[in-house]
Amino acid sequence: MAALTATGAVALRRNVSRPVAFVRKIPWTAASSQLREHFAQFGHIKRCIVPFDKETGFHRGMGWVQFSSEEELQNALQQENHIIDGVKESLFRDAERTPKGKRPPQANGRKAAQSHPARFTQPK
Amino acid sequence: MAALLRPASWLLRAGAATRPMLSLRLLPGGPGRPHVVSYLPAARAKPVAGGLLGPARLYVIAAEEKDIQEESTFSYRRISSQFDWALMRLDNSVRRTGRIPKTLLQKVFDNTCSSGGPGSNHALLLLRSCGSLLPEVKLEERTEFAHRIWDKLQELGAVYDVSHYNALLKVYLQNEYKFSQTDFLAKMEEANIQPNRVTYQRLIASYCNMGDIEGASKILGFMKTKDLPITEAVFNSLIRGHARAGDMENAENILTVMREAGIEPGPDTYLALLNAYAEKGDIDHVKQTLEKVEKSELYLTDRDLLQIIFSFAKAGYPQYVSGILEKLTCERRYIPDAINLILLLVTEKLEDTALQILLACPVSKEDSLNDFGNFFLRHCVTMNTPVEKLTDYCKKLKEVQMHSCPLQFTLSCALLANKTDLAKDLMKAMKEEGFPIRTHYFWPLLVGHQKEKNVQGIIEVLKGMQELGVHPNQETYMNYVIPCFDSVLSARAILEENGCLSNSDTFSQAALRTEAVKGNLDYVLSFLESNTSPLSLQSVRGSLLLGFRRSMNIDLWSKITELLYKDPRYCQKPPGPTEAVGYFLYNLIDSMSDSEVQAKEERLRQYFHQLKEMNLKIPENTYKGIRNLLDSYHVPELIKDAHMLVDNENLGSRKTVHLSSSKLESTIETLKAENQPIKDVLKQLILVLCSEENMQKALEVKAKYESDMVIAGYAALINLCCRHDNAEDALNLKEELDRLDSSAVIDTNKYVALVKVLAKHGKLQDAINILKEMKEKDVLIKDATVMSFFHILNGAALRGEIETVKRLHEAIVTLGLAKPSTNISFPLVTVYLEKDDLPAALEVAIDCCEKYKILPRIHDILCKLIEKGETDLIQKAMDFVSQEQGEMMMLYDLFFAFLQTGNYKEAKKIIETPGIRARPTRLQWFCDRCIASNQVETLEKLVELTQKLFECDRDQMYYSLLKLYKVNGDWQKADAVWNKMQEENIIPREKTLRLLAEILRDGNQEVPFDVPELWYEDEKLSLDSSLNSSSTSVADPRFQNDILKACRLKQSKGAYDIFLKAKRQNVVFNAETYNDLLKLLLSKEHFTQAMEVKKFAETHIKGFTLNDAANSFLIITQVRRDYLKEALTTLKTALDQQQIPYQLAVTRLIQALAMKGDVENIEAVQKMVNGLEDSIGLSHMVFINNIALAQIKNNNIDVAIENIENMLTSENQVLEPQYFGFAYLFRKVLEEQLQPAVEKISIMAERLANQFAIYKPVTDFFLQLVEAGKVDDARALLQRCGAIAEQTSILLVFFIRNSGKPGKASTLKSVLELIPELNEKQEAYNSLMKSYASERDVTSAKALYERLTAKNIKPNDLFLKRYAFLLKSAGESVPFTEPPENFEFYAQQIKESKENSS
Repeated sequence: MAALTATGAVALRRNVSRPVAFVRKIPWTAASSQLREHFAQFGHIKRCIVPFDKETGFHRGMGWVQFSSEEELQNALQQENHIIDGVKESLFRDAERTPKGKRPPQANGRKAAQSHPARFTQPK
Repeated sequence: MAALLRPASWLLRAGAATRPMLSLRLLPGGPGRPHVVSYLPAARAKPVAGGLLGPARLYVIAAEEKDIQEESTFSYRRISSQFDWALMRLDNSVRRTGRIPKTLLQKVFDNTCSSGGPGSNHALLLLRSCGSLLPEVKLEERTEFAHRIWDKLQELGAVYDVSHYNALLKVYLQNEYKFSQTDFLAKMEEANIQPNRVTYQRLIASYCNMGDIEGASKILGFMKTKDLPITEAVFNSLIRGHARAGDMENAENILTVMREAGIEPGPDTYLALLNAYAEKGDIDHVKQTLEKVEKSELYLTDRDLLQIIFSFAKAGYPQYVSGILEKLTCERRYIPDAINLILLLVTEKLEDTALQILLACPVSKEDSLNDFGNFFLRHCVTMNTPVEKLTDYCKKLKEVQMHSCPLQFTLSCALLANKTDLAKDLMKAMKEEGFPIRTHYFWPLLVGHQKEKNVQGIIEVLKGMQELGVHPNQETYMNYVIPCFDSVLSARAILEENGCLSNSDTFSQAALRTEAVKGNLDYVLSFLESNTSPLSLQSVRGSLLLGFRRSMNIDLWSKITELLYKDPRYCQKPPGPTEAVGYFLYNLIDSMSDSEVQAKEERLRQYFHQLKEMNLKIPENTYKGIRNLLDSYHVPELIKDAHMLVDNENLGSRKTVHLSSSKLESTIETLKAENQPIKDVLKQLILVLCSEENMQKALEVKAKYESDMVIAGYAALINLCCRHDNAEDALNLKEELDRLDSSAVIDTNKYVALVKVLAKHGKLQDAINILKEMKEKDVLIKDATVMSFFHILNGAALRGEIETVKRLHEAIVTLGLAKPSTNISFPLVTVYLEKDDLPAALEVAIDCCEKYKILPRIHDILCKLIEKGETDLIQKAMDFVSQEQGEMMMLYDLFFAFLQTGNYKEAKKIIETPGIRARPTRLQWFCDRCIASNQVETLEKLVELTQKLFECDRDQMYYSLLKLYKVNGDWQKADAVWNKMQEENIIPREKTLRLLAEILRDGNQEVPFDVPELWYEDEKLSLDSSLNSSSTSVADPRFQNDILKACRLKQSKGAYDIFLKAKRQNVVFNAETYNDLLKLLLSKEHFTQAMEVKKFAETHIKGFTLNDAANSFLIITQVRRDYLKEALTTLKTALDQQQIPYQLAVTRLIQALAMKGDVENIEAVQKMVNGLEDSIGLSHMVFINNIALAQIKNNNIDVAIENIENMLTSENQVLEPQYFGFAYLFRKVLEEQLQPAVEKISIMAERLANQFAIYKPVTDFFLQLVEAGKVDDARALLQRCGAIAEQTSILLVFFIRNSGKPGKASTLKSVLELIPELNEKQEAYNSLMKSYASERDVTSAKALYERLTAKNIKPNDLFLKRYAFLLKSAGESVPFTEPPENFEFYAQQIKESKENSS
């Protein structure tokens, strides 16, 4: 099984548009397990992250949910309202919404391979 | 600021409503606005309603308006941009909500203090904000705050006038502060400030507030003797005064008195009366009066009613509140007022009434997702409302559906405010209601204690968790508990001791992860050896990976890996150790960056070998993953080492999972023989062969059964060939596939692989064809695809294949597969840089810029050019950059390149270019670059050189530096930064301090400051240890601070006195301080004192020297005192120390020498500053003019003239003729009336014009003649040389330069009379208007305006604004609509339009 995961990881790495949903407006009462619970109805959750601010002990109201397939992600995206702890969430497909470099830690924690040219690009 | 200062009349226009008569009472925002809790009716009802109220009232209005205008005409300019944003936020807050949060006010106050001298209107803003705009703050605290602001700002040099005193009075009134009125007046008298009407009015109000009618009468009598008008406001105060004195009868009588005085009682009068009744709890009279008002034409707003409610509640009659609430119209626009009242009531501990009002608020309750009442709950928490009340309020809010989760919200407030007990009680309440209590609810509480390292606090929280039946998870321990303790061991011990280690295993694993992340692999190993509880590798994998990467100890790496692999406690469950540890290895490599792997190549090799010796195996598939990673990191040499670990034994068993290729092959044979379809099986076979990487065989199979091939098979095969670098077959297969189905689309990655391999094997055209196909078939292009394109191009670039890079890049961009970007164009330059072909690299970059507006790798190009010393190319690059992106960008590019290449001296020159200012993004870019590549020295230099850079965010610069030190764990340097920052007087942001503290702590050093509080406590800044150690005693930081402050405030005497005092006590400051002091003394012409300071510093600080500024001031002073020899010596000393003296200093010296006729020394100066002209900002003309002047002074007129002529006519000119400005020389010659020289110069100028067509000198001369008042001579010259009139640009520059200068209007006018063509030029008439305006010459300005209108010329807004201002200041009406914005706005507008058009 692990062998399959390993190949899967390689495949994932190539495929940047993983089935990840970006969730906003998460109420402070909910953490990743609540997110996971809610989205489990749409499919298998591979990974679910709600980063906490270690300075305050609160999270910043956003998180990422990675499904095992595109189809499951689409299921979730097509549902009109997502309500967790009584609060309506905003749900986006992740790929375009998160700026580069601010990606959540990925299942296999990869940065772009090789010498990333962006690092050497001057801002205007 | 606007809303805070803006006179109410302005707001009126915006707020005009359907009831104009009343509209003023409904205005939103502004401190002068009638506020719910305003105790000062005087501030209410500004103008407008006046028309109805008779003459007395009108006078009042005029007077009040004047008062406000006086207060609002302060210049905003002094508010520096640094805290503009904060003021804007204050302003916005008032506009939006009618209140200011206390924290915001505090922040603005702190900013004001730290930025030095506050402007007086700034002080006013702050003071004004301390009253009813702070409903969330207790009344006493507000006044305290006001006093704090008052004292502190005064200390900082704020100058107070009557407006400040009045503002303070108002704050007193709003806060019901009891004070002695006579003392207040005495204080004003002491400060020599005359009280005005507003002062008296407010004093009366303050007496009345206390019920002191006698006191009020005294002031009233005084006002009468002064003939000051008695306004409605005064009467309203008197009503309150009588009422509070217990005399309701007289209070009611005031209305009659008013009528007798000709003032009709207005709504405010009735409101005063109503409040008076309310304070007595006299509901009957309140109702009667309300009815009376209703019947009259007057109108009470909700805001007024809210005030009556407050009076009732405050006086202890909450039972009557509901009666008034019924009368509210409940319009939405009163919600902010209601909110403010609710907050105030909570502050006053009248929460129940507050809730009553809240529940009456007109909010829509249908949309349950919009909660209302957060502000109330939050403020209750802040004010420590008992939990029983809070839970009750929550229940009610939920019942009426005003709030969907009030308890949760209240809890979050309690957590944010770190109120542990309240939070616990709330959670209990929540639990009773059936809500789950989650672990992370406790994190904010833990964070609070963690910051203070408060172990006791942590333990209490953990106990609280136990009580509520919540178990801490690993995150809780790792992130919030363990960091509070010195070590995990002591953490465990103390927690155990206190009985709050309910789940020891969770803690152990959290401890393991904590230590692993730190790189403490010893701990990890010993834990794993002694551990008895179940542990899954997966849960600690992330931490372990980080730990591996942080530790350099390969033996530990291996031992841990071995343990995980072999020990029966770990990884033995399916899928077994081979898979689990293999995956771990894969992840390890995967988590490292390419450079990291490259750097650790040898270590990794060692690691693999040790694992091999330990007989550790990994699955083949995992190996493949690792191989691909290593390949992509460009460390293929490691692949063979990793390969040793492959588990060959299990290879066979794995294959049985799939059908073997041989079996499939025989199946095909059979099927074929039976004439059955074989397509499916064939595909399967091809796929299996591909996965076995057996290209040879796969190709053979394909050849054999070609007719039965399907698309999927081809796709897999193509990919296989690409992987095996077999371009030939890949291409053939692709062609076969096209023949099979020309519309077939393979996936993006396979296309990209194909392009890559074709490009690599020189099949450029085929590669381009594939790209075209991608476009035609609309293949999905992802971020990763663009990235792959980059890698293809970059690979080719590194191989040096210019043609490939160029053509592929062009194809990709023109086909639109990738947008032109710096990234994708990067290899275009790389290919030349790799070949060291710098001219071509630059050419390509420039080409990119022209085509796509991007400039790839310009920094690298410049660095290389500098290294190679290619001055011409550098010049070319610079010209191009400055033309395309502006001079500033060019300077930055050059600056960074010099820094990068270690040419610090040149870099210094660049960054000291006059006019250069900080560009935060550029600086940050370079900082990040230095951090990423660990260039300590470069970054240090950057920080050092930008010290004086205008608007440079020093704190941010030091923050970057600290980040780098943190990476390197260099606490010594970090500590030095701490001192450096104090020397530079930088106020570090909290994040900087926190980072610094971290570095010090990591280095086991004591942190010499309190992390959160330090920055605003002056005393703590005294930790200055950077003082010169050679001093006789360590400087008292208090002295140092005082003297620096005095210097900042330009108090030369004060500063010098401190110096003397310190000197007596033998206290020595640091060199910087002396330099500052010297600068100040010299700039104020205290020469002897300055010399005293210099002497002292030189004898007490080893190697003390004056800095650039001090030396420059010294030169100026010496020149002024005619000590030219000494000045020359000073200049020489400064230059010897590599200093850059000020331009003014050098110019003054040269000019003084010229007046003495000292040619020799001018030339000596010229030699001294040779090469530095640009850094100093000296033009060649300074020397040319002054040498000529000196020669003329020595009666060598002919020599001087000959020199000038030669310079202008010789072939190799120093300067273009149009830059030869002789104005100075001509002016001096005319001023000094050196008649023979004047004549000869005139002849020369004309000759240059007539014979050489060089018109600049003659035009300059002409202008100087006019300026010297010799208009006739000028006219004669113009007649002799008509071309002068055509030198429009020179003439217009003269206009612009002289516009607005005092006394120049007549000169400009004369020029216009001589050359009337200029009249139509915009620059000319604009300049003229500016001059008229500055000279307040209304008549001429009018004439000018009329002349322009007659000619149908439409002047621009700035012109009109000036003219309008001039007219208004002369008391005349403005015959056109005045442009609404201020001068700066239009000046900026013109500047921008010029920039855009150029």
